[in-house]
Amino acid sequence: MAGRRFSPKILIAVVALVAGLAVLFGVGLKGSMVYYLTVGEFLDRQGREDLGENFRVNGNVVAGSIEKTPGRIGASFRMTDGRRELAVVYAKETPDTFVDGSEVVVEGRVGPDDRFVAQTLLSKCPSKYESSAAGRDALKATLEKKTGHAPSGSPGGR
Amino acid sequence: MADFGTLCLLMALAAAAWAVLASFNGWRSQSGELILSGERALYVTWGLVALAVASLETLIFNDRFEVEYVASYSNRALPATYKVAALWAGQAGSILFWLFILCTYSAAMVLFNRRRNRPLMPIVVTTLGCVATFFLILVNFIARPFVTLSRTPIDGMGMNPQLQNPFMAIHPPCLYVGYVGLTVPFAFAMAALATGRLDDTWFRTTRRFTILSWFILGSGILLGGWWAYVELGWGGYWAWDPVENASLIPWLTATAFLHSVMIEERKRMLRVWNMSLVIMTFLLSILGTFITRSGIISSVHSFTRSDIGPMFAGFLGLSILVSVGLLLHRLPLLRSEHRLDSFVSRESTFLFNNLLLVGAAFTVLWGTLFPILSEAVRGVKITVGPPFFNAVMVPITFGLLTLVAICPTIAWRRATPARLLDKIRIPLGSGVAAAAILFAAGMRDVYALVAFSLAAFVGVTTIMEFVWGTLARSRATGEPPLRALWSLVDRNKRRYGGFVVHLGVMLVIVGVTGSSVFKQEATAVLHRGDSFTVGRFTMTLEDMVSRDTPNQEFLGARLAVFTGGRRVGTLVPGQNFYKAGQNPSTEVDIRSSLREDLYLIMTGFDPQKGQATLKAYLNPLVAWIWIGGGVLILGSWFAMLPDLRERRRSAEARLRAVASYAT
Repeated sequence: MAGRRFSPKILIAVVALVAGLAVLFGVGLKGSMVYYLTVGEFLDRQGREDLGENFRVNGNVVAGSIEKTPGRIGASFRMTDGRRELAVVYAKETPDTFVDGSEVVVEGRVGPDDRFVAQTLLSKCPSKYESSAAGRDALKATLEKKTGHAPSGSPGGR
Repeated sequence: MADFGTLCLLMALAAAAWAVLASFNGWRSQSGELILSGERALYVTWGLVALAVASLETLIFNDRFEVEYVASYSNRALPATYKVAALWAGQAGSILFWLFILCTYSAAMVLFNRRRNRPLMPIVVTTLGCVATFFLILVNFIARPFVTLSRTPIDGMGMNPQLQNPFMAIHPPCLYVGYVGLTVPFAFAMAALATGRLDDTWFRTTRRFTILSWFILGSGILLGGWWAYVELGWGGYWAWDPVENASLIPWLTATAFLHSVMIEERKRMLRVWNMSLVIMTFLLSILGTFITRSGIISSVHSFTRSDIGPMFAGFLGLSILVSVGLLLHRLPLLRSEHRLDSFVSRESTFLFNNLLLVGAAFTVLWGTLFPILSEAVRGVKITVGPPFFNAVMVPITFGLLTLVAICPTIAWRRATPARLLDKIRIPLGSGVAAAAILFAAGMRDVYALVAFSLAAFVGVTTIMEFVWGTLARSRATGEPPLRALWSLVDRNKRRYGGFVVHLGVMLVIVGVTGSSVFKQEATAVLHRGDSFTVGRFTMTLEDMVSRDTPNQEFLGARLAVFTGGRRVGTLVPGQNFYKAGQNPSTEVDIRSSLREDLYLIMTGFDPQKGQATLKAYLNPLVAWIWIGGGVLILGSWFAMLPDLRERRRSAEARLRAVASYAT
């Protein structure tokens, strides 16, 4: 039926186009598939080179583990799935939502010092319902680190 | 007030269900009374949902924190504009808002068509009523906006500071108005299928609606990009995030539909294809709403994760079953009346444009759902990132640009390659010349060269369409050129409005190419008086500054910007600390020009030492994305205005319809 409604030339062109898209698809997929794992799953699979070079790992920031060097961009911290922990370094600017307890997704690979070197870092606020107080404490902690002394009353308090 | 809202929603559910039952039975028994009752029930639904929206806003404005939704997304210090926006800050409220837009559209459609399209209307009302009923079930039983807390908090949690931005306040409404608007052509398509009246009434009636929804959705996507650019502070505007993708997918299929429907209108071809596109677009916009609101695919956007998943899956499944079933049932009536016989013809360019657009939509859908699919099949989530999207989408975009450049010059039915070549000689030459000049100027990036060359090709073709048309008309009527140009576009607003839209899309692509290929960045830790450089700009830290407002305290770094030894401006990137106690938010500062944006972020600071850590991005041509968006909106508005040619066409169609009913 299709043969009657379209000329053969067009059919060939359509098939060629779809085939071309399929090839692009295959090539694109091959180059960009990354396993998305929890901290525990990642630690179990560490060293398996057949799974690719990069991994995407999900977990929560261990409270109090964020260390920032003054004058340097980025942070080192530990993330956890509730049972096991993974040390991470990240050398780019951190998003506003990156605080103690926040859920983070890092993508990268393990570096020479056995710490996970993240190329990208996404983070979400700790759930509002659980942690209004915790969130405030986290903010205070971040502020203290940022300004080098305790905030008195107002943020940044100078 | 909360009880009143709950009551409104319950009654609205009853009214919507009645609208469905009455219209459908009225249609089956051809009872005018039942049909009328169904239509009135839709008005009532709209009224009740509007009252529910009004109650929720009243609760937000009166700081009634005993209501969980108000306590979660508002607080006393929230400025009034954002109190309005708090309506769609959370899941329950945004579903209510979605519902309100749907009911407004439905009521408007019933009103406009009270004397027209009578045979189609009962099924239109049934379809719209079904969608409304589904969302009413959600707000009544699952995502309930009026739930009260057992203890009333003193103050609310406040709105996520990242959402406190003018763009973010209008971005979600734009997306919703676009998403929901695509339900209307779907409802008319269902009515055409159910009644078997498959002439061009269904898409002619909804043409304006489709363009309106299409360009509002498009503007929503661009506004989202703008928001990400000015607010999120990573120097970019698009990250192939699932939520962004979810809005792009139906936009792509709607774009395909807007084009292929022209073929159906003129040639009565691609009719099954058009029906499939409308159905696909509707399903994808429901899927988009779901992805946005459920956080099913982990993403920076997902502020919520909830139990609306099974409901949406069920509704989508049911919609597929009914719509595809109807389509298969009417397949024999949807046979093409003409044969697509020439490879070199405007029809075939439309066909290829459709294949590419649907291919693009499928690519984005596949990449977005890949983590879910791989988890279902292999038990482990595998994500595909920007490299996949770029690898597939960039060639598709190039293909589409080529078609946009060729399409207006190619004849309907059958064109000869020689004649086509003759017509595109000048635009094609301009494209090649643009690439040669840029290459000579030192540009070596292949993607950028191809993109700019195609952009020139498109630009020149489109402008020449205006010039040729004007000259021809001026010769024929003796009008002076400017007057001839006006009457030319005035008489065929859809064609020339469409060309303006093409120019807008071309500008957006130029902006995207410039800012992604030629981006530069630099970071530095500065003390007072220190400088750093990115591209042709040098920035010197002058001082640390702070500003205090009731809602927040701003801390920033003031930098003088120099280029070529001359001071050209001052930028003050910083951070906002919210008194409600949320995380501080980064406030970037941007020096924007047609040539490039200088984008500064303050990532850290030490006021005592007078030291700030700064990051600078140089984003060339990024302003053209927003300018292109403006051009696109302008063209769309113009294409929606009524014109002579359309009036003549619809008069002919009415005559044809009368003739066919008479026989």
